[in-house]
Amino acid sequence: MPLGGVIFITIFIATFGVILIYLARWTGGRAKKTSQAKMDIYECGIPAEEKKDTKISVKFYLTAILFILFDIEVIFMYPWAVNFRHFISTGAGPFVFGSMFIFLAVFIFGLWWEIKSKALEWD
Amino acid sequence: MTSMGTTTFEVAVNLIKLVLVFLMMVQLVPILVWLERRGSAFIQNRFGPNRVGPLGLLQLLADAVKFLTKEDFAPEKGNRLLFYAAPVFALVPAAVAYMAIPMSVPLKFNEYTFLIQGYEINVGIVFILGISSLAAYTILMAGWGSGSKFSLMGALRASAQIISYELALGLSIVGIILLYGTFNLSEMIHAQQGIFSFNAFGHNISASWLPNWGIFYQPVGMILFFAATFAESNRLPFDLAEGEAELVAGFHTEYGGFKMLMFFIGEYGHMMIASGLMATFFFGGYSIWNLTPQEVYQWCFNLIGNEFWAGAMNSLLHFLSYLVKFGIFLWIFFHVRWTLPRFRYDQLMDLGWKTMLPWALANTMITALIIFVTSYYVL
Amino acid sequence: MTADVFLFWFLAFMTIVSGLGVVLMANPIYSALSLAMTMISVAAIFVTLQAYFLAGVQIIVYAGAVMVLFVMVLMLFDLKHELQAFTRGRATGAIKIATVGILSGLVVGAVTIGLTIGGKNQAEVASATKAAGIVDTTRGLSEALFLKNVFGFEALGVLLLVIAVGTVALSRSKGGTHARD
Repeated sequence: MPLGGVIFITIFIATFGVILIYLARWTGGRAKKTSQAKMDIYECGIPAEEKKDTKISVKFYLTAILFILFDIEVIFMYPWAVNFRHFISTGAGPFVFGSMFIFLAVFIFGLWWEIKSKALEWD
Repeated sequence: MTSMGTTTFEVAVNLIKLVLVFLMMVQLVPILVWLERRGSAFIQNRFGPNRVGPLGLLQLLADAVKFLTKEDFAPEKGNRLLFYAAPVFALVPAAVAYMAIPMSVPLKFNEYTFLIQGYEINVGIVFILGISSLAAYTILMAGWGSGSKFSLMGALRASAQIISYELALGLSIVGIILLYGTFNLSEMIHAQQGIFSFNAFGHNISASWLPNWGIFYQPVGMILFFAATFAESNRLPFDLAEGEAELVAGFHTEYGGFKMLMFFIGEYGHMMIASGLMATFFFGGYSIWNLTPQEVYQWCFNLIGNEFWAGAMNSLLHFLSYLVKFGIFLWIFFHVRWTLPRFRYDQLMDLGWKTMLPWALANTMITALIIFVTSYYVL
Repeated sequence: MTADVFLFWFLAFMTIVSGLGVVLMANPIYSALSLAMTMISVAAIFVTLQAYFLAGVQIIVYAGAVMVLFVMVLMLFDLKHELQAFTRGRATGAIKIATVGILSGLVVGAVTIGLTIGGKNQAEVASATKAAGIVDTTRGLSEALFLKNVFGFEALGVLLLVIAVGTVALSRSKGGTHARD
């Protein structure tokens, strides 16, 4: 695996981006503070309001953690999928097929339960 | 490091090639922006940009000059470091992942073989999925660094959307991995060359009028994959992150000028990855309809008679074939954007979790069952 | 110094610097981003050991999923308040000193173990790997997972299901700062 190439191009692109930002700052100049309203964050014409305790739905957190769990299950299917034909040719086909089917049954049960318990409802 | 080449010449060519592929991506962005603006005008019965230069082609240059003269703004309330780092990081995952997609047959020069792609990675699929999943950080950094509530909400929505569809994306290609038994994109393309033929129950079945492309084996996987990539690259109808009706412009509300342009390069880069992967997984990559590269090479050799130039012509023809497929998928991205309206957020999440994920699971199971039955039993 | 050795030292340096960043940064978001960088560097080190699939999984699961969750959750809090709580007080000072102590202990331990194992050269390790019959690491991994330890694999599926159910149940509980309704 050409790791050296990956690292080289990553550093190259990052340098390229930093140079672009400095170039734009040099040609365009930094924003001059002509008024306080200019430096404020966007708000539709009224004074920007800052709330102390921004409440954000716990749904985002729930979605992220369910994503991690299902992602791990999907990742386990990759080595199985890539070697499936090899397993069939060595005669271990039925065993490996069955073991993944049980795993998938648990996966599907989990997904069914999440849908049924309305954990994935956004309202 | 060793696989970048053994001699200084080979390493130098390979490094220059990396920079060239990156510059190709960056150069493609203004062309695609022009194409999208003209295309949307065509769809909506307008003119589009047509004042600067022939067909408005110089509009790109005018835009670049305009971007350069914009003053460099960062909101006082935000976090300056993250605010400036986000657009730089927007470039990285898209470009690094795109390098791994093969664009043509390898070119032989003396004793060297040069791949027409940034680098070859033997676990290409896993690499591309992993690197492009890092794009979520860019969005979160931009959203939080801006210090604006519109940006933060846009970033949270966008990252929740990206991770939801990543599941369907990852699962929709398990079928294709089962089919070809490899993570390597070049081997996958190699398996799709020539005419439609496969082994079932110990017999070979073939059809000379069809190419051996993945779409004929995995139609459901193709649809799921393409839909999921729309969500991954934040394009309509999945661009909830920048739903301007409620969130101004989502996570890049506070951005302008060149920093905005860099987010654009990132977004178009993700579209390019999606189009390249669509071609690679389901449409034979760079291979030409019904032909293997050996047949094309033989034809070129008969025409030219010089081994190196025949190889170069072979690579060029296959590159053109790749570009045609690549361009068609990019055009579908544009066409869908200007045809379909945006989803509501709960519809988006329902589609990802309750429709696409079960379908992708069913596709995987049925593919596995068919492969198992057809290769285990001999009739 | 060959390119491979240079690559290893570069990656080791990146891993340690970003790991130190996790501990020393005052801003939790910077800490989380440093942790993501550490994960990516560790994945790159896996690549130098020819564990390609493992490196990919490290990036997809840890850098692409777990750390995204961390950063998302950090953004849900009022960070200005957290920042003050994190940088002041006697307890945090004690925790910082203790962390540095544990870290230096780990470094000393790693160096000591490294010196004893380092006696083996690469050729020996390579021949040992060949003797164990491991040709393709992904294939070896899937044989270990789906043939030898299949019970653990199924148990893991059930474990993930239990975690999913538990998370949903916890997010439903009344009270707390993020109660459902």
